[in-house]
Amino acid sequence: MVTVNAQAGRLVLRSSGVILFLLLWELAPRLEWLDPYFVPPLSVVIGEAGTLLREGSLPIHLLVSVWRAIVGLLVAMAIGLPLGFLLASRFQQLAEAIDPMLRVLSQVNPFTLLPVFMLFFGIGETAKVAVVAWVSVWPILFYGMTAAREVDPVQIKSAASMGIGSTDMLLKVILPGALPTTFVGIRIAASLTFYILVAAEMLGAGAGLGWLVHNAAMNYLIPRIYAGAACIVVLGFVLNRFLLWLERVLFVWREEISILPGEAAVAVSPWRPGRYAARALVGGVLAVLLFGGIEVQRINREAAEPGGGHSHHFGTPVDSGGSSF
Amino acid sequence: MNRATVNKIAATLLFLLSWEILPRTGLLNPLFVPPLSAVLVTIHDQTVNGALASHTLISLQRALSGLLVAVLVGLPLGLLLGGWYSRLQQGLEPLMELLAQANPVILAHIIIFFIGIGESAKIFIIAWLCIWPITFSTITGIRTVDRSLLKAARSLGLGRWQLFVKVVLPASAPSIFTGLRLAAGYAFIMLIASEMMGASSGLGWLVVQSQESYHATRIFAGATVITFLAVATDRLIKLVEGRVVVWSDSASREDYLKLQRVTE
Repeated sequence: MVTVNAQAGRLVLRSSGVILFLLLWELAPRLEWLDPYFVPPLSVVIGEAGTLLREGSLPIHLLVSVWRAIVGLLVAMAIGLPLGFLLASRFQQLAEAIDPMLRVLSQVNPFTLLPVFMLFFGIGETAKVAVVAWVSVWPILFYGMTAAREVDPVQIKSAASMGIGSTDMLLKVILPGALPTTFVGIRIAASLTFYILVAAEMLGAGAGLGWLVHNAAMNYLIPRIYAGAACIVVLGFVLNRFLLWLERVLFVWREEISILPGEAAVAVSPWRPGRYAARALVGGVLAVLLFGGIEVQRINREAAEPGGGHSHHFGTPVDSGGSSF
Repeated sequence: MNRATVNKIAATLLFLLSWEILPRTGLLNPLFVPPLSAVLVTIHDQTVNGALASHTLISLQRALSGLLVAVLVGLPLGLLLGGWYSRLQQGLEPLMELLAQANPVILAHIIIFFIGIGESAKIFIIAWLCIWPITFSTITGIRTVDRSLLKAARSLGLGRWQLFVKVVLPASAPSIFTGLRLAAGYAFIMLIASEMMGASSGLGWLVVQSQESYHATRIFAGATVITFLAVATDRLIKLVEGRVVVWSDSASREDYLKLQRVTE
């Protein structure tokens, strides 16, 4: 019982900051410490989110944003993973030679690339997906290279001395050894992607969470700005936590990388993902790709119709959020 | 010069050469990707007439002010939470994690209600994004200080303050520098975003203007200068780190949203 109490106390302590913040958000505008016109209380914002949910626009924007993020990530993984593994395991000299160049390239600002991608791919989805892929390909590539290079040589040697075939070596030794670090790269890419995507959607898009906030700001729908921003924050938080959890559950063979002494006590859950969980995950991703793709096509078609649809113009000071205030 | 260096230089030259040749031969559309020489000429012209220099200066000023604010807020916050108030840190951590997710580009719409659209809004946007890596890496750095070092120092009779200045701070410096480098990278990303959203000066604005008038060469010139600035800042911090943190036997291997390679 003591441990249960301790756990409960820990939970209360850890959630106290968030609860206090939310309470303050509700009370400060109500008590007129902050102007409720500019900072609507939490309940109003939640009500606005509920309205958006009932109208059905929030799920659509969510779907569109997640679709872009997933497509961009998949493209980045398709490029970054094989390239990283090949460079690190087969072409080490080449990897070393192009390393400084890759580093400089990875520093190229995604927002300055947006115009370049738009020259190449036009104004549609491809430019945004390309930006997402560009941002996420670097962590995937670099972590993939490191992962392939840092597989424990003792494991490789002992497997070789037991007479393992080269296919088995790849599948049973190198891949499991490299996966945890690779996954860290994918996780970093995912959270970074989401960040950049929302910003890119504000600069030029006709749908998506970033556009939702942008549009609300254009029309002075202040509670809607907060509702959209809160959704983005919660989604990013959940995504991050989910990937961290997935990392812990998937790679049980990895030695615990306890960073903080206090955190190491977190128990690894006994549940392990099996075939069904994997199928569910793949099914979910496919469903998002399918429905998101349909939705994105519909939105772009509507936008292409003359007279209707939204401004696709990107980034002029006149069009953008800042200068109109 | 050893073989590896020669290879590196050769690869870089090859890249620059193909940047020049591919558009010239028409394998890449020169309207979309102008050759290197054209980009360099543009940079030169813009430098001579002074436009580039003034925009660069303005951008650099914004980025550095944002970074400075982030250091001034994030470092003490991290030191306090990591070093003294660990219960407060536990309580605040989820909240900080949530706040770190709040995209500054979106916050911009809310911030301008309060402080308007001027320079301070841009600096706020940059600072907001930079605070979190600095704070988190400072907390991590302090909390992962080698226990035996602390015990040894204490048994030698060091006071609280001396313990902090002479043991904790040096031991957590590598992690703090990692956070700083991350933050500097973010500062440049956000700088361009904020200048694209609403500004009438700066490199981001220059890129947007060039896009409006379909000056691909100028877009590439702007992008090249921005990349150069980001890389130079990163190198500078690394240099300072090398001078300051002479005792660290290996570079810190913080993986918190790190874009650089893990092994360095």
